[in-house]
Amino acid sequence: MIDNALLVQMLIGALLGLSVYLPLAAGQLSLATPAFYAVGGTLAALLSTRWSALGATPAGTLPLGSFVLELLLGGLLAGLLALLVGRLVLRLQGIYLAIATIALVEIVRVAILNLPFTGGAVGIFAIPQPFSTAAGYLLPALALLTLAGWVCQRLKGIPLGRAMAAIRDDELAARCMGIDTTGAKLTAFVLSAVLAGSTGALAAHFLNTWNARQGSFDASVTTLAFVVLGGSRSWLGPVVGGLLLTALPELLRPLGDGRLVLFGLVILLGPVLAPQGLITPALLQRLGRWGERDQPPASESQP
Amino acid sequence: MSMPLLEVRDLSRRFGGVLALDRVSFAVQPGEIFGLIGPNGAGKTTLFNLISGVTTPTSGAVLWRGKPITGQPPHRLNRLGLARTFQNLRLFDGLSVLENLLVALQRHPRSSAAGGLLNSTGHRRAEGQRLKTAWQLLEELGLIALAERQAGTLAYGDRRRLEMARALATGPDLLLLDEPAAGLNPAEKNQLCQLIGHLRQRHQLTVMIIEHHVPLLMSLCDRISVLDFGVCIALGTPDEVRRDPQVIDAYLGTGSGSGSGGSMS
Repeated sequence: MIDNALLVQMLIGALLGLSVYLPLAAGQLSLATPAFYAVGGTLAALLSTRWSALGATPAGTLPLGSFVLELLLGGLLAGLLALLVGRLVLRLQGIYLAIATIALVEIVRVAILNLPFTGGAVGIFAIPQPFSTAAGYLLPALALLTLAGWVCQRLKGIPLGRAMAAIRDDELAARCMGIDTTGAKLTAFVLSAVLAGSTGALAAHFLNTWNARQGSFDASVTTLAFVVLGGSRSWLGPVVGGLLLTALPELLRPLGDGRLVLFGLVILLGPVLAPQGLITPALLQRLGRWGERDQPPASESQP
Repeated sequence: MSMPLLEVRDLSRRFGGVLALDRVSFAVQPGEIFGLIGPNGAGKTTLFNLISGVTTPTSGAVLWRGKPITGQPPHRLNRLGLARTFQNLRLFDGLSVLENLLVALQRHPRSSAAGGLLNSTGHRRAEGQRLKTAWQLLEELGLIALAERQAGTLAYGDRRRLEMARALATGPDLLLLDEPAAGLNPAEKNQLCQLIGHLRQRHQLTVMIIEHHVPLLMSLCDRISVLDFGVCIALGTPDEVRRDPQVIDAYLGTGSGSGSGGSMS
């Protein structure tokens, strides 16, 4: 039932879940992930179809090096956009930040829809393929997810990650403890954008076509649901949420039209039955405490 | 006289129609323990908020070692050497006791984010130093046994001490304590008093302290300033303040019986 194409989609879901998680780990409810995803995807689609130096062939193949370069550039462009926009929108808090980031998603969507070179409503299609089968995308998607997960895991033991956790708990207290909260929030926002941008570049090739609908308000809600269902206290939560919620509609396909109702029920009941999400710190501790709050040399260095 | 560590000049703060603080001036000398008392709503916490950069003054100036610092954001002021605690305790409840200190220690010493991600030797060395300082502070404040506990689960007195430890971790010259003894029993109040004296010695601190418990303040402070309705009505040694008729009037409500005892310029 789960084929390679669905697996790649699930990994993309997990990556986008992590992208929503990163600002949330610093207490910032940003729904801008689809905007950065769209920016990365559009850049990759444009570059590989228009820029001959990348070495796309008429048969529709693309050298692997060019693909990797696009992942980097997609992340870079999204990150730069986040740097510009973040300074402005991160002054807002809570629901106001959420609304401002939804506005960003809409602005990017309308821009991509109307720019003269992005193909309008039809979008860009016949995007060259670095791999001949869907299975080929598994490796880069998994590599990206591993890298993102590694960064999230490392964050817990370094000043930046601690600053983010402190801001999430009490921003004013964090400021009074000498933490440049603006900088930490902006860094989290930019990291989130870089991840979404690279994911978009990967998705553009995988999907073969790309248009403005890829980054819509719907996607904001879906990606947020990944984090809500999976849990936001550990980076494993959004990964699990992204994998499950991407797979679910496909797995329920035999149910016909009823599947969307069931999907809706899962999203509705998830937070009711598991308010902290599926992956909670307590669960991780029981699982052998490798995911959450590992105590590095702390206990040993006690005098 | 040496240069004051902190000076406040004609500091005023208005909230809508309320003048919470009205042209308050004083100077805090290095090494002293400076007390602030006054009835509820007198403007004590407002004054702390202005000094620590949490709110900006309507007019007036704050000087740090003679240089104006008015309007600077809290994290800059903290890096200058000014740390505070909060009346209503603002710990990082989701983090462990040790992590609360590590957050405050992140610039002591500094290390780069990239080095941290890659677990460079520089990062590990910095982290080792931070842990060492953190454990020292935990020991000093009697929190060692609680190091791994989540801050949100601590008992009240422990939370108060953790807040002080966290403020100390930022390496301040001036420590602002906002009602550190609130909610403590008499024995704990005494311990706290000794602790503050001990910390001042050990960390070469200057301390500003807001406290309602007058005996504690009288025994602890070198000088005391009395606020009433946003106005500084007295400033001096504990003995001078104790005998000041305006203070007696404002604090004990003797005399005319009009609610606003000390409202004069």
